[in-house]
Amino acid sequence: MSPPRAADDFLAEAQEIVETLGRDLLVLDEQRGQEADPDLLNGIFRAAHSLKGLASMFGFEAIAQLAHRAEDLLDGVRLGKVPLDDRTLDALIEALDVLQAQLAEVAKGQLAGPAGARAQAMAERLAQLAPGEAQMAAADPLEGLGVDASVRAVLTEYEEHRLRDNLRKGVLIWKVRAEFALDDFDQKLAALNAALKPLGEVVSTLPSSRPGEDATIAFDLLFAGKRPRAEIEAQATTFGAEVAPLGDHSQVRPSAPVTPLPVARPSMTLAQAPAPVEPELSVRSLTQTVRVDIGRLDALMNAVGELALIKANLQRLAEVARTATAALPGRWGQELHVEARALERRLEELQQGILDVRMVPLGQVFDKLARLLRRLVRESGKEVQFDIRGGDVELDKLIVEELSDPLMHLLRNALDHGAEPKAAREAQGKPGRATIRLAAWQQGNHVLIEVGDDGAGMNEPKIREVALARGLVNDERLAELSRQEVLKLVFLPGFSTRESVTELSGRGVGLDVVKTNLARLSGLIDVSSEPGQGTTFVLTLPLTLAVLRALVVEVSGKVWAVPLNSVLEIVAVSDEDLRTVERREVISLRGQTVPFVRLARLFGLPERPLEKHQVVVVGLAQQRVGLAVDALLGQQDVVTKPLGGRLAKVPGVAGATDLGNRRTVLVLDVASLMEDFLRPRSRALP
Amino acid sequence: MSSRPVWLERFFHRADELGAHELSWLDSSPVAPKPSASSETKELLAVRLGEERYVLPIERVREIVKVPVLTWVPPVQPGLLGVMNLRGEVLPVYDVKPRLSLSDVARVVTGPGDASRESRVVLVRDDAGDAGVLVDAVQGVVRLAADAVEPPPPGAGDRSVIAGLGRLQGELYIVLDVGGVLP
Repeated sequence: MSPPRAADDFLAEAQEIVETLGRDLLVLDEQRGQEADPDLLNGIFRAAHSLKGLASMFGFEAIAQLAHRAEDLLDGVRLGKVPLDDRTLDALIEALDVLQAQLAEVAKGQLAGPAGARAQAMAERLAQLAPGEAQMAAADPLEGLGVDASVRAVLTEYEEHRLRDNLRKGVLIWKVRAEFALDDFDQKLAALNAALKPLGEVVSTLPSSRPGEDATIAFDLLFAGKRPRAEIEAQATTFGAEVAPLGDHSQVRPSAPVTPLPVARPSMTLAQAPAPVEPELSVRSLTQTVRVDIGRLDALMNAVGELALIKANLQRLAEVARTATAALPGRWGQELHVEARALERRLEELQQGILDVRMVPLGQVFDKLARLLRRLVRESGKEVQFDIRGGDVELDKLIVEELSDPLMHLLRNALDHGAEPKAAREAQGKPGRATIRLAAWQQGNHVLIEVGDDGAGMNEPKIREVALARGLVNDERLAELSRQEVLKLVFLPGFSTRESVTELSGRGVGLDVVKTNLARLSGLIDVSSEPGQGTTFVLTLPLTLAVLRALVVEVSGKVWAVPLNSVLEIVAVSDEDLRTVERREVISLRGQTVPFVRLARLFGLPERPLEKHQVVVVGLAQQRVGLAVDALLGQQDVVTKPLGGRLAKVPGVAGATDLGNRRTVLVLDVASLMEDFLRPRSRALP
Repeated sequence: MSSRPVWLERFFHRADELGAHELSWLDSSPVAPKPSASSETKELLAVRLGEERYVLPIERVREIVKVPVLTWVPPVQPGLLGVMNLRGEVLPVYDVKPRLSLSDVARVVTGPGDASRESRVVLVRDDAGDAGVLVDAVQGVVRLAADAVEPPPPGAGDRSVIAGLGRLQGELYIVLDVGGVLP
């Protein structure tokens, strides 16, 4: 059942809020035990508030209620009434998970799913943590500040709290008076705020008690300055602002914290322990929505406008040709040519524009992964630090979504099997805290993503043992394999089964699934590992799936497109170069033995006798196969279309594409072909 | 025969709100029915396959096109001729004659050159995915009273392919089961 449209709108927006919440809570989580950034706290509070409003507007009362409780608790935290200790933070993080589960249920159209009950319990837990009334300290340091009663009356409770909090910490409060011209005061004010921010905290911006001259407007900024007066004045004077102390600065001293926020870590009772992460927990998005920068849409709009102009010109030219009585003037042909070129360029722009719109930063999925992993780390009891880089690298939305599960898999492996316990690490002279890396960068038309750890590394003898036990290689062959080749065995289907997860101290937990998922995205995965130094997986992905560069080849008189991102090289071999291994043809490629597949024979087409075979060497994930074709016809950008519902599964065919001039050709499905060919027993092509 | 393309054209381009009385031009066609007094009627597209005349429910017909260039695909289904490109959409095209026992050999049709001038591809809607059916000719639209369609008599053919038999003015129409005839 698909949810109605209103739910879609809600989901798109709610998910964005929940993602923001998640990101900000993650920052808080990283800074556990430190003083939280008040702006950050305030931002989280506002996000919870927005979610509450949004949910109740769309009638999702359970979500609204939980968001409301979270908002209350956060309000207490930002006002200093509730300490931001482990209990509070864990509850908030868990509440976020519950909210996410609730959204997932909305997405599935389940109105009364299990998340409802969790939400109820969670809401009660949050309510218990939220502040009761009147916990405030009796002595109000604000009294000594000498702020007018009229000014104090307009300060919000939050602003008062920030003033108090700063005073308590011995931070001096300044009044910064600035006067700006009416026409650009908003920009200037924002600039002043930005300039002051590194020096302290702008608690409140009020209309000045001393009004400005005509056509100007004056403000008093209540500023909690953590830096010496000279520094504050240096910044302020560039804006023509005056700085004056507020209250008696000689009396305010960095007093002992009046009520130190209890940051002690209370031992968790069972009820408060975070719920274990469900194994099937996915970090995929709930909606298919892509949020697009308006600038990118403007570029599209522009291209379309230009196309309309070209259409008008073409119509005019067509009319000239239609009504012409004599031969067309030579100028007509030139004009047509010019328009055709313009059309080509605009279409390219349009295509590029559409591709841009589909691009989203990897950070979206990295943030979610980090949050999930942080929880797993806490449960595992290991000490791990994350090194996340390259969140700004952009990839096609489709790829980013499909990537989230494989990446989670690899990260979990790094935690479960890579990172060792602290004691074991220290015994080897390594730093006690393990590092898990998640990094992305762009390289040409590809994006590389690295998932690595500095743990124990893969256990080569164990992999050999398992591969042999499962019949993936025979004794003889195994003896010939290098360490690198042995490591690649973990990607073979059947290398690991669920039962083997615990017994296998090395890796290999469902890595074939990861490989298959990646292959579907035309991606490659490679692994390197050194004993004692760690394991690194590198994923290579195309920037986009929408348009592929393809190699156009001919096989038995039929034209095929081979996605270029899986083509490694092209070699020519003659019949003498062919060898057979177990009655299968192979070629030798710089010492490596590569299966030789005659495409014509594979598809049951008549074979042409040739002096030399053109061999397209394709690689996906760990495997290489040489595909023999009759001729190479060139390269072209193609958009692969599925063969339609009835022909969903044609072995070896990924879809069809139009090569222009209305010629439809088939696109070779390199992944399924290799799968079929490399499977030991059956070759199930017709 | 000569008037057929014109009225066929008009049929497929008529405005939706045309009433039955405005369809009088159908009377001039060889297969046009007399509008029956009360009984509910069904509109069916009549096509020729070999020497037999078949009809298929008009609501299952998406479009009729001339035989396009077909792209070979591995023969994963019986009767699969290849795929065609319909304005960017890729659709499989089938030869249903073997399925209807009208021919023993699988034909090879790769484009207009392999088919007669009257041949067409009828694009049909189907839950399993739309598809094209190669026919030897499109003959027009017939309107059959619902009670004029009888179930196929036993032994008259494969029931999963034939939905019924219709009679009109002494002509026999074999109603095709579109879903059943496609592999």
